[in-house]
Amino acid sequence: MSTTITVEHLARIEGHAGITVELEGKAVRSVRFEVFEGARLLEGLLRGRSYQDVSQIISRICAICSAAHSLTSLKATEDAFGVEASPQTHLLRDLLYRGESIESHALHLFCLAVPDYLNYPSVVALAADHPDAAKLGLRLKKLGNTIQEVVGGRAVHPVNCIVGGFGALPAEDQLIALRRDLQQGMADCQTAIEILATLPPADFCHTPTVFAALQPPADYGYYHGNRIEMLPEGKANGGVTFAAADYRSLTNEKAVPHSHAKHSLFQGRPFMVGSLARVTANREKLSDRAKKAIQKLALTLPSDNPMDNNKAQAVELVFDVEYALATVERLLNEGLKPERPAPVRPRAGTGTGVTEAPRGLLVHSYTYDDAGRIVSADVITPTAMNAASIEHHFRCAAEQAAADSHQALKKKLEMIARAYDPCVSCSVHLLRS
Amino acid sequence: MKPSVGIFGLTGCAGDQLVMLNCEDQLLDVVAALDIRDFLMASSGNDEECPLDVALVEGAVLTRRDEEKLNRVRERAKLLVAVGTCAVWGGVAAMDGGRDGDRARLLAETYGPTGAAYDSTPARALHEVVKVDFNISGCPIEKEQFISALSHLLNGNAPLFPQYPVCTECKMRENNCLLIEKGEVCCGPLTVAGCNARCPALNIACVGCRGPADDANTTSALAMFGEKGIPRDDIVRKLRTFAPMEGPGV
Repeated sequence: MSTTITVEHLARIEGHAGITVELEGKAVRSVRFEVFEGARLLEGLLRGRSYQDVSQIISRICAICSAAHSLTSLKATEDAFGVEASPQTHLLRDLLYRGESIESHALHLFCLAVPDYLNYPSVVALAADHPDAAKLGLRLKKLGNTIQEVVGGRAVHPVNCIVGGFGALPAEDQLIALRRDLQQGMADCQTAIEILATLPPADFCHTPTVFAALQPPADYGYYHGNRIEMLPEGKANGGVTFAAADYRSLTNEKAVPHSHAKHSLFQGRPFMVGSLARVTANREKLSDRAKKAIQKLALTLPSDNPMDNNKAQAVELVFDVEYALATVERLLNEGLKPERPAPVRPRAGTGTGVTEAPRGLLVHSYTYDDAGRIVSADVITPTAMNAASIEHHFRCAAEQAAADSHQALKKKLEMIARAYDPCVSCSVHLLRS
Repeated sequence: MKPSVGIFGLTGCAGDQLVMLNCEDQLLDVVAALDIRDFLMASSGNDEECPLDVALVEGAVLTRRDEEKLNRVRERAKLLVAVGTCAVWGGVAAMDGGRDGDRARLLAETYGPTGAAYDSTPARALHEVVKVDFNISGCPIEKEQFISALSHLLNGNAPLFPQYPVCTECKMRENNCLLIEKGEVCCGPLTVAGCNARCPALNIACVGCRGPADDANTTSALAMFGEKGIPRDDIVRKLRTFAPMEGPGV
């Protein structure tokens, strides 16, 4: 007997997507992660625009990842023109990126993912019974936004980041206030880990996974670096690496009729990007506090459970608040040097930028003419890369939950999709074929 | 009785719903004052049929599915509020070819032959599809305007926002003028205020993300751009980034 399990419109994610799983008896006949987000075709609309307009327009791909899009865009443009931004600019961009990650992870963990574990429909319902946990989550989320406001000028779609540097630098009093917030954030992260460690286990989808992540040249992070590492299936090391400019070999994208997000495959197989991939590939770069959080959350690496992406986000939350505090203290001790953005001389050519958005690898690649106007633009987003992997994990969960009621399986499928923290607005922006 | 509220997203970046969730200090009080029945981005326990006192809708109409959803929301809601520049004006997806001729070609370029079958229509603002009762513009909206609009509606008043341009706020902040002093293409003279001149205060020219100001001296602004030697095409293109030239008709 064949049955179809459908989640028509997945709640508590960013954007518009659904799930369909077809069963034949206990066998899984097909799985689909359906993306019906409208296509805005922003890459095409960029054609002819000046390099000065690009990051502001392209950040509109996605609000939750807007700092990531903005900074990846600047990396691509600076690569194309050979612009050398100052060390201080890079330091502040790194801080901004961590602000976004803190906000995004706190939002995802407390408002979108955790309610499932405790059987609440929303964080508001959860707040009625656990007000302190909800308030703690919102405080951490606000902390991430405050960092983005101080450095980027706005919490959503940063306005202060331009090719070569910033419009204006943060004021000392803003940094002093931010330091106080980050100190509170350090304590909040500890409590957050304690809360998350008490959640019931989410143990229903096991399969060796291929992970891909950016290789940070120095510290654990999201902004620096231009080499991508692809780990062997089920392994935490021994991967192959390649340069950002060779991103096409990473993403052999394929348009599929049921989704406006193309599917990415590496050597014909799905791979997973995001917090769990990063923590797996770069575990040794984490701080002692973050490593303790790994223990406390009983996160075993490499993990064969996609639900562990939630734990990995919590680990990054701990690391980023600690790192951001150290950065702000350094900026206060050394003082911000007044400086103008690095000079920009447009030239014809192609530039590529790669970073780690909160949800995983993000690539922007632009070709400019000699007047600095866009000839073509490619954007490959983490959720597009993850789409095939999400379906792979749907299939595993459906196979491993053959004894479940349909209602129980449906909830598991939703939880897997949510664990990826999918950003569906992002996912429809793709490499041109 | 608390007013019943639905919060909906059409095609966009979800930035305006994110701003609502970013009201961290007010969030729990705001939801306590409302009866939020349908908010897919934040809750899985939604009533998708009930009548609503207020519907807040962000995003532009870019698919037939968006259009059907918007029509359904309109039927359910006593008041429909367009939230954010995409909903009010069409937003970035409505610029240049996003609105007309080029769309089929762009779709084919991006997705190949599979793209032709996708549900995809030219970007439209909400008012081009249904009657809109109020607008909260901004890309994204400003928290303060959102909270203020809600409290006006809760008290039975129409939310009123400034109609003057960003320049007015910029002058009040005593910023140096990026257009007059540096000859930059700043959209401040023509863009509606409410952001407290956020960008010019950071030495960044206004990109017009809030959409046009009713109370702007367009002739004089265009003459000034001309005096600065800025090509007219550059100005028009920049002004059309977030909003096509036609008004939202409310």
